Amino acid sequence: MTDVPTDSAGLQEWVREFARRVAVQRDLLTDLDAAIGDADHGTNLDRGLTAVVAALDATLPAGAAPALKTTGMTLVSTVGGASGPLYGTLFLRMAAALAADGDPGTGGDPGTDGDPGTDGDGTPVEPGRLAAALRAGVDGLAARGRAAPGDKTMIDALVPACDALEAALADGEPLPAALAAASRAADAGRDATTPLQARKGRASYLGERSIGHQDPGATSAALLVGALAVAVGEG
Amino acid sequence: MVAVLVVSHSRALARAAVALAREMAPDPALHLGIAAGLDEDTLGTDAAAVAEALTAADAAAAGAGVVVLMDLGSAVLAAELALDLLDDDGLRARVELCPAPLVEGLVAAAVTASAGAPRARVVAEALAGLGGKQAHLTQAPAAPPADAARPAPPDAAGEVRAEFTVRGEHGLHARPAALLVRRLHGFDATLELRNLTTGAGPAAADSLLGVATLAASAGHRIAVSASGPQARPAVDALLALAEQGFDDVAPGAVSG
Repeated sequence: MTDVPTDSAGLQEWVREFARRVAVQRDLLTDLDAAIGDADHGTNLDRGLTAVVAALDATLPAGAAPALKTTGMTLVSTVGGASGPLYGTLFLRMAAALAADGDPGTGGDPGTDGDPGTDGDGTPVEPGRLAAALRAGVDGLAARGRAAPGDKTMIDALVPACDALEAALADGEPLPAALAAASRAADAGRDATTPLQARKGRASYLGERSIGHQDPGATSAALLVGALAVAVGEG
Repeated sequence: MVAVLVVSHSRALARAAVALAREMAPDPALHLGIAAGLDEDTLGTDAAAVAEALTAADAAAAGAGVVVLMDLGSAVLAAELALDLLDDDGLRARVELCPAPLVEGLVAAAVTASAGAPRARVVAEALAGLGGKQAHLTQAPAAPPADAARPAPPDAAGEVRAEFTVRGEHGLHARPAALLVRRLHGFDATLELRNLTTGAGPAAADSLLGVATLAASAGHRIAVSASGPQARPAVDALLALAEQGFDDVAPGAVSG
């Protein structure tokens, strides 16, 4: 097993890669949302992530936890739609998990106050901590949206990704291979949303008419996991 | 006084809803806050802005608490996330996210809060805010909120009774009902109303929904039954309002 640690630059690159992928796929996300929602997922998320990249450029956060906190706080203030508080919660909970689980003497809760917390200035994040932080973020997102697997939401891509990442690391896979497995699981989860009937969000108003459409939230969530695999796994 | 916060995707919608509520609850001491839209024209909600607005509303409420009314989907998520973002547990405990419909709930909450009611009562009235509309459209009396249908005290010794005829073209509709509720909250007295013409009631006179369920139109006879230390002056105030026809009184002119 290799346990190549992930530095904060890697996690910032993850966010930037997510922003690039959403920018490229913006119209697809909005078109998917037009079919079963309110046709703003791509534009909202692109606006938010553009602001995130500007915020990272402007503040140059030192450490993974402050970078992810900046990402989360910027998303909740700039996305506007439900994906703002949902992805915002994911990044804020990841930041809190990394800070709370950080090196001795450098912890602090980054999620709820003005203290940015730190995981140690650029202290590497071990693969196990990265997986645990991602799980904490996904759990937080699921709790925020009161969503469970099968509801035709972001969760349908994110939970399989966490499961695959943890299983691969437990099997001794190196981080790049484990993240690649997570990305494949997220893509499969996204594809599996098509036959589902939506039970959350605007799409749930459509009832059975939501069947046959790929979920836009699961689609952007798969972009998020794919970006992690590229930025951290291969980076 | 309990403060009320509107969380909406649209700043224009929130402002208009607040203007509507202000018409019925003009007391400047009532804080009606807004956290709505990403900017003047962009639809969306901002959890950080909600957290700031909650802090401002809590300060204005001076410990009485904040009731939050929300529109759709992400407004609810943003309000919940805003509670997480607050680092003051005391403040968090003073805030209640109320699932009432935005417009009806806001009007009921604003009227009830401006009458000095506690937070739980403000929330209960907001939640019952659809009652008037339901009663009107179904021709059936709506269930009043749990504490709006208080039984008369068994001790009838100090009871004050009176009757009046509803004046004004439109009867005892929302705005005069709001005037009535606000006016009566100032008295240490319990008042019940019955619509003698239709048989509706009894309803608590200090509940917006209670008054609405009477469906009192122009010409209806209303019976008042009051008890408590200030029963007499409360009934006198009510009769004075009725004499002026409720509706013909400029908003705020008789607000306690």
